[in-house]
Amino acid sequence: MSTTAAQRFLQDAAVKSADLVHRELIRRGMESYDAAHLKGRARIKDWEAARQKCQEIKREAINHLDRYLLQFEEKVVSRGGHVFWAANGEEACTYVKDLATRLGVRTVVKSKSMVTEEIHLSPALEKVGIKVWETDFGEFIVQLRDEPPYHIVTPAMHLNRGQIAKLFREKLDPEIDSDDPAYLMAAARRKLRQAFFAAEMGISGANFLVADTGVIAISTNEGNGRLCTSIPRIHVVVTGIEKVIPRLEDLAVLWPVLATSGTGQGITTYSTLIGGPRRPGEVDGPEEFHVVLVDNGRSQLLADAEQREVLHCIRCGACLNICPVFRHVGGHTYGTTYPGPIGSVLTPHLAGIKEFKHLSYASSLCGACSSVCPVKIDLHHHLLQNRRNATEAGATKSSERLMFRAWRSAMLHPRIYALGGWSMRRALRMIYGLGLAGSIFDPMRVWNRHRSPVPLPSQSFRARWRKGLGTN
Amino acid sequence: MAQTENSSRDRILERIRTGLRTVVPEPAATISDRVIFEPVNNPLERFQQECVANLMECSLTADCAASARQLSKVLQSLPEGETFVQDDPSLRRLIELAAPGRAIRWSSQGAPGEASQATVTLAEALIAQTGSILVTASCGGRSASVIAPCHIVYATVAQLVPDLAMALSGASQQRSLDRNSFACVISGSSRTADIEKILVQGAHGPRRLVVILQTAT
Repeated sequence: MSTTAAQRFLQDAAVKSADLVHRELIRRGMESYDAAHLKGRARIKDWEAARQKCQEIKREAINHLDRYLLQFEEKVVSRGGHVFWAANGEEACTYVKDLATRLGVRTVVKSKSMVTEEIHLSPALEKVGIKVWETDFGEFIVQLRDEPPYHIVTPAMHLNRGQIAKLFREKLDPEIDSDDPAYLMAAARRKLRQAFFAAEMGISGANFLVADTGVIAISTNEGNGRLCTSIPRIHVVVTGIEKVIPRLEDLAVLWPVLATSGTGQGITTYSTLIGGPRRPGEVDGPEEFHVVLVDNGRSQLLADAEQREVLHCIRCGACLNICPVFRHVGGHTYGTTYPGPIGSVLTPHLAGIKEFKHLSYASSLCGACSSVCPVKIDLHHHLLQNRRNATEAGATKSSERLMFRAWRSAMLHPRIYALGGWSMRRALRMIYGLGLAGSIFDPMRVWNRHRSPVPLPSQSFRARWRKGLGTN
Repeated sequence: MAQTENSSRDRILERIRTGLRTVVPEPAATISDRVIFEPVNNPLERFQQECVANLMECSLTADCAASARQLSKVLQSLPEGETFVQDDPSLRRLIELAAPGRAIRWSSQGAPGEASQATVTLAEALIAQTGSILVTASCGGRSASVIAPCHIVYATVAQLVPDLAMALSGASQQRSLDRNSFACVISGSSRTADIEKILVQGAHGPRRLVVILQTAT
C-alpha cells in the first residue's frame, strides 16, 4: 500500500526522534553552529541593520524581477555566454542533457546546488550515460550513500566519522584505515582530482546573480566550486530566477551576512564572481558558459501578496539550524529538497499544497526561524497562512472537517460543551485508572503514548471560575 | 548577439510581469543612518588580525629584497616540484632573486599543472575588513589560486582597501569584470567542516595561503 508524504513524515519523525545516536550527533553539530553563529553576529556592528539591508536588497530585486533578469541576461550574452530560461525542471534538465550530448560530454563535476537537487538533474544526466561527480565533500559522501542531502549547507551532518570511514572503505578504497576527518578528506580529494581533470563539463549553482555587472556569485569554502568552474571546458550554471540582486556593491553586505548565517564565518573562503567564458588572452577557464534560469513555480509566488517574500531566501540554512523540529526529526524526515522551516513554507508552493500541507503543522510556531532569518522572512506566519490556504482549498480530511464542525457547535452551545467536558473527564479517569493511558482506548493517545498523562482536574474550569480561581 | 533559442523565455517573463501586478505594500527604508560594519581605522593592522583569524600566513616585508628572502623561505619549506608563477615583470624580478634554480612554469606558458607544488601570483587588492585578497583572471588565471597545495600572493601595502564595499565599488568603477571573466575574494586556505563540524584545512584547494606584504612599492 502506498503511503502519503504525511504518513511517511510521521513514521520517519518517530524513528529519528528516538534515535539517540542521531540526536547526539545533531546536538553536537548544532551546538558548534550556535557558538560560531553568535560569534559571527557579534563581529557585525549592527546585525539588525544588516538584516534589514539584505531584506531591502532582495525586496528591490524581486519587485523588479523582470527588469533585473533581463539586465543580467544582456550582460552575459554580450560576453559570449548563453542564458536559457526553463519554465520547469524538465526543461532545465533537457537543456543540460542536450548540451552535454551535443558537446560530447562523458563526465560532469558538480559543485553543490540545491536547484539541481530540486529538478533532479544528476539522475537525468546519468540516465543518458553521463557520469556525475558531486565534488562538495558532504555531497560526495551522500552521493556515495545514494541519498539526498540532509541539510542545505552541510549535507552529511547526520553521519559520524566512523560511518564515513566505513563508507569510503566500501566504495572508494578498502585500504582506508583511519577515521580522521583530514585523512578522509584527503582520500576524497585524490579521487575527485581525477574527476576534475577528466570532466568536460562543470555544473554549479549560484548564490546570487548580479544584474548590473552580469556575473554569477558562488560562495564555497572547499574550493571545489572554483575547480568546477575553472578546469572543464564547459561551465553550466543552474539557478533559480529569484537569485538576482541589483548591484555588485550589494554583495558587501550579502556576502558577510550569508556566511555569518550559514556557518558563522565573516565571509566564505572563496567568494567567486564569473561573468562568461574565458576571454581572449586569459590563461584558463571554460570555452562555453551557460546559465539556466529555472522558474519551476517561483513566478507564481510573485502574485501571492502575503508570501512573495519567500523568494527573498538566500538558502543560508539558519532557519533549519534553529528549528526545534528540525533538531529532533532531522533533514531527511521532511522528504523534500528543502527541509526545515523554509522548506515547509516553500514546498507546498513548488510541489502542491494537498500533498505537503502537513509540513505547515510540523512547527510549534515558536518563531525562532523568523528571528534568525537574515532577510527577515516571516516564516512562522507563512506556515500559518499555508494552514489556512490548505483549509480553504479543501485539502483537509473529511473527518477533520467533521470534528471542527462538532467543536464549533459545542463552542456555540455552553451546555453541550460542559457535557462534553464532564464526559471526557469521567472517561479519562476510568481509562487512566485501568492503566490504559496511551493505549488505543485512550482518546489522548497521541500525547500519552510517549508521556505521563497530565493529571486530571477534579472540576471543570467553569466550576472553578464560579468559585473564584484565586482561592483554589 | 548570440541569443540562445528559448521558447519559455517570453512565457516566464509574462508570468513574472503578471505576478508583479499584485501590489505588495513596501515599508519605507529606515536604515540609511545606521552603520552596519565597524569602520576600519587602521587597514594594515586589521588586515593582519583578520589573516590570523582566517588561518593565513601574512609576512610584512620592507622592500623587494626582503620579499624575495621571504618567498625563498616559503618555497624551501615545500616539496620539490614545479612552481607556477603569474608572468609579470615584478614577479620575474622576485623569482630571479628568490628561486633562481627552481622549476618555474610561467602563466604565459599555459595553465598550472595538477602537480604544481605552489603558485605565486599578484592580487588586485587586499581587503582589511575580512582579511581577503581580491584576484581576477589577470592574476595568472582562474586555477592559479586554487590548484596547488600552497598559494603565495605578492602584494604591497598600497593595495589595501578598508572594506568589501570599497573593493567592490573599485571593481565596478574600473570595470574589472568586463575585462576579466573571473574574480574571487579569497579569505583563507581551502577548508571543510563537513565531518562532525571539525575544521580540516586543505580541502580541494591550497592548505596554505601566504601573503607577502611589502611596505615599499
